[in-house]
Amino acid sequence: MANWVPLWLHRLSSPPTFYRFAGMLQPWAMTLALLLGAIALYGGLVLAPADYQQGDAYRIIFIHVPSAWMSMFIYAVMGVASFIALVWRIKLAEVVAMESAPIGAAFTFITLVTGSLWGKPMWGTWWTWDARLTSELVLLFLFLGVIGLYRAFEDRRQGARAAAFLAIIGIINVPIVHFSVNWWNTLHQGSTVNVFGKSTMSWDMLWPLLTMTLATKFYYAASLFRRARTDLLSLEGGKDWVRQIAQDEDAR
Amino acid sequence: MSRATLTTACAAMLRRDLTLAWRRRGDIAMPVLYALIVTMLFPFALGPEDTLLQRIAGGVVLVTVLLAMLLALDAMFASDIEDGSLEQLVLAPQPLALMLGMKILAHWVTIALPLIVISPLMAALLHLPASVIPVLLLALLLATPLLSLLGAVLVALTVGTRRSGMLLALMLLPLCVPAVIFAAGAVAAAQQGLPWLAPISWLAAALVLAVVLAPLACAAALRIALDS
Repeated sequence: MANWVPLWLHRLSSPPTFYRFAGMLQPWAMTLALLLGAIALYGGLVLAPADYQQGDAYRIIFIHVPSAWMSMFIYAVMGVASFIALVWRIKLAEVVAMESAPIGAAFTFITLVTGSLWGKPMWGTWWTWDARLTSELVLLFLFLGVIGLYRAFEDRRQGARAAAFLAIIGIINVPIVHFSVNWWNTLHQGSTVNVFGKSTMSWDMLWPLLTMTLATKFYYAASLFRRARTDLLSLEGGKDWVRQIAQDEDAR
Repeated sequence: MSRATLTTACAAMLRRDLTLAWRRRGDIAMPVLYALIVTMLFPFALGPEDTLLQRIAGGVVLVTVLLAMLLALDAMFASDIEDGSLEQLVLAPQPLALMLGMKILAHWVTIALPLIVISPLMAALLHLPASVIPVLLLALLLATPLLSLLGAVLVALTVGTRRSGMLLALMLLPLCVPAVIFAAGAVAAAQQGLPWLAPISWLAAALVLAVVLAPLACAAALRIALDS
């Protein structure tokens, strides 16, 4: 009855099907990302009132917080895809995991940079060895380690499997690092956005933040689709379906 | 597989690795010399002020030991890869995780143990109070096997690659942060006369976890890296 879901997922995991599927969705995801991003920026930078304590400087959260969420979300996606890649040896899962890593590293980097820009006027320093900052930095190194290991192998599929294993070790390690660093030093403010309880943030400020979160999600999807398509073409270089695409391109 | 043959295999593995290390005794001295030299550089760089050196002594010794171990990690499986004995080990009927555990133990005995033996001297060079040194030794005794075990998993992953030295450092750093925090925390607490048992217990807990899981992870990683 509900057989079509696993069946469809199974079909999707074949490279040519995913190539077409991603090519279809990619422009939509990018358009939505740009549109929502523009709305969120307008709402955050123009419509939202200034903070009574931090003035206009708080507005960086509309970039900072969604990026921070994305850095963790992408690591989770990478971990799940890595697990699938190692257990069921699905080529597409390897591609998704490995192509997620640079995007995740970029979001982590943005989080660190915007946080440090905000920290200068608020805390009076660009960088402090606070628990959350340090965990985020460690997360960046985890992403870079995965990318580095993937690139170090000559055989790309073998590199992807090794890097996927490292990503899984990292997933176990992230809570341990977070906890130990918390124990070590904490200055960062607590969360103000709460999924289950009531958020301590005014709605005027909250909606641009949530819209931006959606925008970053769509951007990630668009970027991942694009990267995965390119990667699939080069991985499957000699296959018939790639040759077909190349011939169609030639004919145009 | 009967218990007797497994024990024999473990003992043989351990004896083989230790004998190999003993035949090349000069290599064992290298990490120790490296650690001593790095420790010596700190007073030159920061000035010979007693109070300052005392404050950083625990952390400097820990990080220096970590770096010395990192440099020696690369060689953990190198010679076995070259002569093909690692592939033999993978094919052997004995459980690979157990055999790798023996190799890690041998590596720890040859690399980390000399560093731990020399660490009181390093601490004394930086004027760490004598009363803190037992805590430092305890922290090192728990933290160095942890690093060996984590490092072994990463080395196994990089076995199939060419240049792995810097990559190994990049990969090991996020994994060793908790170990460094707790080990340094214990030393710092002891130095201030505070109770230091809690961070030591955390280190011990992490070590127990790593002893169980790391050899298995190491075996899985090695199979991935050798499978081509």
